[in-house]
Amino acid sequence: MKRNILLFTLALVLAIPAFAGAKKKAEKDTEHFRYEIECAGNGTQGTYLVKVWSYSRRANIAAEQCKKNAVHGVIFKGYTGGNGCVAQRPLANHAGVEMEYEEYFRQFFSDSGEYYKYVSLTGAAQEVVKVGKEYKVGVIVSVQKDELRKALEQAGVIRGLGSGF
Amino acid sequence: MKKFLFIAALLMMSVAAFSQAKKPTLMVMPSDAWCYQNGYMKSIPDGTGSEKQIPDYEEALRTSMDLKLAIAKINDLMAERGFPLKDLEQQLKLIQQQTAEQNLVTSKSGNEMAESPIDNLLRVAKADIIIELTWDVKEQGPKRTLSYILEGKDSYTGKSIGGSNGTSSPSFSADLTVLLEEAVVAHIDNFNSRLQAYFDDLFANGREVSLEIRIFADNAAGIDLESEVGTDAEELGEVIDGWMATNTVEGRFSKLGSSENYAAYEQVRIPLYKSNGVAMDTEAFARQLRNFLRKEPYNIPCKVLNRGLGKCIIVLGEK
Repeated sequence: MKRNILLFTLALVLAIPAFAGAKKKAEKDTEHFRYEIECAGNGTQGTYLVKVWSYSRRANIAAEQCKKNAVHGVIFKGYTGGNGCVAQRPLANHAGVEMEYEEYFRQFFSDSGEYYKYVSLTGAAQEVVKVGKEYKVGVIVSVQKDELRKALEQAGVIRGLGSGF
Repeated sequence: MKKFLFIAALLMMSVAAFSQAKKPTLMVMPSDAWCYQNGYMKSIPDGTGSEKQIPDYEEALRTSMDLKLAIAKINDLMAERGFPLKDLEQQLKLIQQQTAEQNLVTSKSGNEMAESPIDNLLRVAKADIIIELTWDVKEQGPKRTLSYILEGKDSYTGKSIGGSNGTSSPSFSADLTVLLEEAVVAHIDNFNSRLQAYFDDLFANGREVSLEIRIFADNAAGIDLESEVGTDAEELGEVIDGWMATNTVEGRFSKLGSSENYAAYEQVRIPLYKSNGVAMDTEAFARQLRNFLRKEPYNIPCKVLNRGLGKCIIVLGEK
């Protein structure tokens, strides 16, 4: 009995760093915000429909990071259009916003962060491409850009259209 | 002491309330090109014996459901962004009502309300920023594509604020109403980013306005812009140029043209607030120039004519 408990404890001790390592790697991939964003169609009122390609050594992690990257892309990158798809500018009014509100965005994009409220999967099949030692995963997501903009305006991160008047 | 603090707090609050810069008004209108293409034009006498064609907005709003829908959608989306627009249809109705009332109101002794020709001319639907809307549907067999332009124009400087345009992907099934609604929803954010950039520039560099100086013919003061005035016997035009350089933001203005009877200033950057923190508009700026000219050593009587948030005319020589 004692031996079983000892073996179980040992397995647990060994597993924790392995999970932590994977999580740390995912965080590292996310922190660098290594992704590509493209238009996936004109969304319904209040939303953007985007396809995000994320990179990771694990395909499931990359797929999960796509949501975070989509919100990041809508705030800071914007995306190009074409074929009836309308290009959109980023919600951030100027380039320095991410650095200026670094602490706000660290919390916003943390795993339990607020970003999750503004993005949802569309149900379209994800695309997985193996690129060298890692996977490139493409997922179509819908970003609630109107709600996202309101939240950023309320936090004072971006200026509202009528602010100052 | 408490009373004093309370009054001081009240004063500070009222200054803060007045310190908000004046919000420009926006209105969506169909462009002249759209009105022409869709047959919404009417002829009016141009004062020289011939006629000119102008857009017939009333008829367009009465008969085109697509136009009404597009305007309503843009109004809705802009209100969502905290910037409700003036409604063209309501403005036109208001003008009709005002004209009807004007014709009916008389004093007890039977006198009508005073109205100069310029008052009549000014009674048109207007806003500080006009959002011009144009669209065109192209059909290729069963496919339809919608080309769409949304362009903002500063009514008084005549400058384009920017816009958004594009063409939808070909559709076999969607009717015009759906295509139009999709186009408005897809393009409004890009238009709003241009508008935001315009407002940011306004906060950074002051409001851009136009100012005209005119002279009353055979005025009682006997002056024109080449008259030598003041202790230094400077020409009046030079005195006004000097005042403009001192009182505009970083001395920014351009003089478009001048003669002894006329001077036009464009791209005049006026501060958003007066020295006491109250919001400044073109009329307040023009009044400051008027006060400067009618004081010693110039003593020139002037009349300020307001042409909206962005333009004023100062007529010199008489009131």
